[in-house]
Amino acid sequence: MRVLVVEDEADLADAVARGLRREGYAVDVAYDGDEALDKAAVNAYDLVCLDLNLPGIDGIEVVRRLRADAGAEPPRVLMLTARDRTVDRVVGLDEGADDYLVKPFDFDELKARVRALLRRDAGRSGALLQVGDIELDSARHEARRAGRPLALTPKEFALLHYFMSKSGQVLSQEDLLEHVWDENADPFTNTVRVTVMTLRRKLADAGQGQPIQTVVGRGYRLREEQ
Amino acid sequence: MNEPEGLWARLPEWMRSARFRYTLLYSAVLFGLAAVVLAAIYLVLLMSLRATPVSAGRRTLCPPFGGQCITFITFQHAERLINAQILDKLRFYMFGALGALFVASLGVGWVVAGRVLAPIGRITAVARDIQATDLSRRIQLPGPEDELKQLADTFDAMLARLDAAFAAQRQFVADASHELRNPLAIIRTNADVALADPDASPDELRQAIATVKRAGDRMSLLVDDLLALARRQQPTLEHEPVDLGAAVAEASDDFMVPAETRDIVLDRAIAPGVVVTGDREALKRVVANLLDNAVRLAPAGSRIRLATGSEGNRAWIAVADEGPGISPEDQQHVFDRFWRADKARARSDGGTGLGLAIVRQIVESHGGEVRLHSKVGVGSSFVVWLPITRPALDGAQR
Repeated sequence: MRVLVVEDEADLADAVARGLRREGYAVDVAYDGDEALDKAAVNAYDLVCLDLNLPGIDGIEVVRRLRADAGAEPPRVLMLTARDRTVDRVVGLDEGADDYLVKPFDFDELKARVRALLRRDAGRSGALLQVGDIELDSARHEARRAGRPLALTPKEFALLHYFMSKSGQVLSQEDLLEHVWDENADPFTNTVRVTVMTLRRKLADAGQGQPIQTVVGRGYRLREEQ
Repeated sequence: MNEPEGLWARLPEWMRSARFRYTLLYSAVLFGLAAVVLAAIYLVLLMSLRATPVSAGRRTLCPPFGGQCITFITFQHAERLINAQILDKLRFYMFGALGALFVASLGVGWVVAGRVLAPIGRITAVARDIQATDLSRRIQLPGPEDELKQLADTFDAMLARLDAAFAAQRQFVADASHELRNPLAIIRTNADVALADPDASPDELRQAIATVKRAGDRMSLLVDDLLALARRQQPTLEHEPVDLGAAVAEASDDFMVPAETRDIVLDRAIAPGVVVTGDREALKRVVANLLDNAVRLAPAGSRIRLATGSEGNRAWIAVADEGPGISPEDQQHVFDRFWRADKARARSDGGTGLGLAIVRQIVESHGGEVRLHSKVGVGSSFVVWLPITRPALDGAQR
């Protein structure tokens, strides 16, 4: 899952990014509204953590343009605001933000809200994902196949998470690179292929058969029924 | 002492009202006047008619040789008899009229008092409705420009002033909480993220602590400034003679090193012997805040000039820089709390956005004023004018 953190306080933006990266998200940072819109125009973010009070283009305007420009699948928007007046939040929510958090916030709460917003995509509730005999608990950061725990690296976990939230769909290497890796990933390496390979091996070791199929010339697909 | 109050409290509410008292007063005055007038008329009539009992003038004539006696009265007596009866009737009607008048005057008094007091009732109702949080309502009493309208208009004007003051206060609290929440968020998030990582390296931890310290420093600066603003809103400033030149020199000493490290020349031209009355620490803070802005914002290699002097019965302090300058539309905002020319830059470079607001507050509490002359691309100069209490005689204090 790919996240953009937009915050003009660099010390805060970097800490949020660091914390979210450790949760396995691919995180980019923008320090003002212009930079945020530039990055959103290039990358397909699943979620934007957006400070409302930005120099230049303010947060409300960023939400508005994200909605207008993103087309079919606009990213989820979590507003971060230091203003606790209701009117600020109402305007933000009306303009299309999905949730808000008042600064200073507990980082655990931020993580929980990020998880909740990303779950909405797949129309599920709860932190627990299940596809076939694979279970994934995004809150506890645990994955199991056939009841047996999988020892996954953060990147493998994030990759599995993304596969499970789009189960049955064919995902190209570009899709995976966009949503699971951040902007620092080199698109010309075979990092996606290697990570998919190690993930498949770990899945195969834990249970019967290979749930992630290769669709020749198009990418990979996680089988819904096995 | 308690008894009348107790009695008063036991009366029904309508009897305790001003309307009731005015009704009684009106009724009593009207009734008294009517009674006096009627009594006077009656007395005058009585005196002029002088009724004697009819029996006194009665005569009886009996025929000498038997037969019926005839009782008669003279014409004069008959007239008196009629007069007496008229007076009786008059008295009867008078009492009746007085009784009716009493009842009528109570009714009329009640209505009139009600009409007169109605605008006051309206003013009271609005005043009762108004909470400190919603001062937007006004009485807007209709009608002619009379005493009651003046009262209502005065009240409305007071509400408007209160409303503006509360709005400014709310805005200030919102701004202050916003400014405090950002460094708080930095501290909490950095601490949370660092603590949640079990295998953070010493370097990462050190970096997190440095970030937390930076945010903490920013908060303590901000809290200092907020307290300075809040304290100076009460008139608790010291009043003592202050050697302005000495205070300015002392305050500017602290900026020699920071200016030098930024390759800025700080020129001082301090006139000796100017004495003003006021708070020495507060005046030093004025100079420090002005210099702080200048040293932070002026480009490296430029010159800052600090000068003091006097002109007539006013002393002045001037700080001129060769910084970026302030555009005409921004000049009216620079003394506002939390206003910054460039939001992105000012946060990180250590300004709280309160410095010039504090300057203005201190200067105005000393009976002075602060002026800004600025041209974009050329520089800005701030001039503080303060009233002089006594012109210094010897000029040898420093």
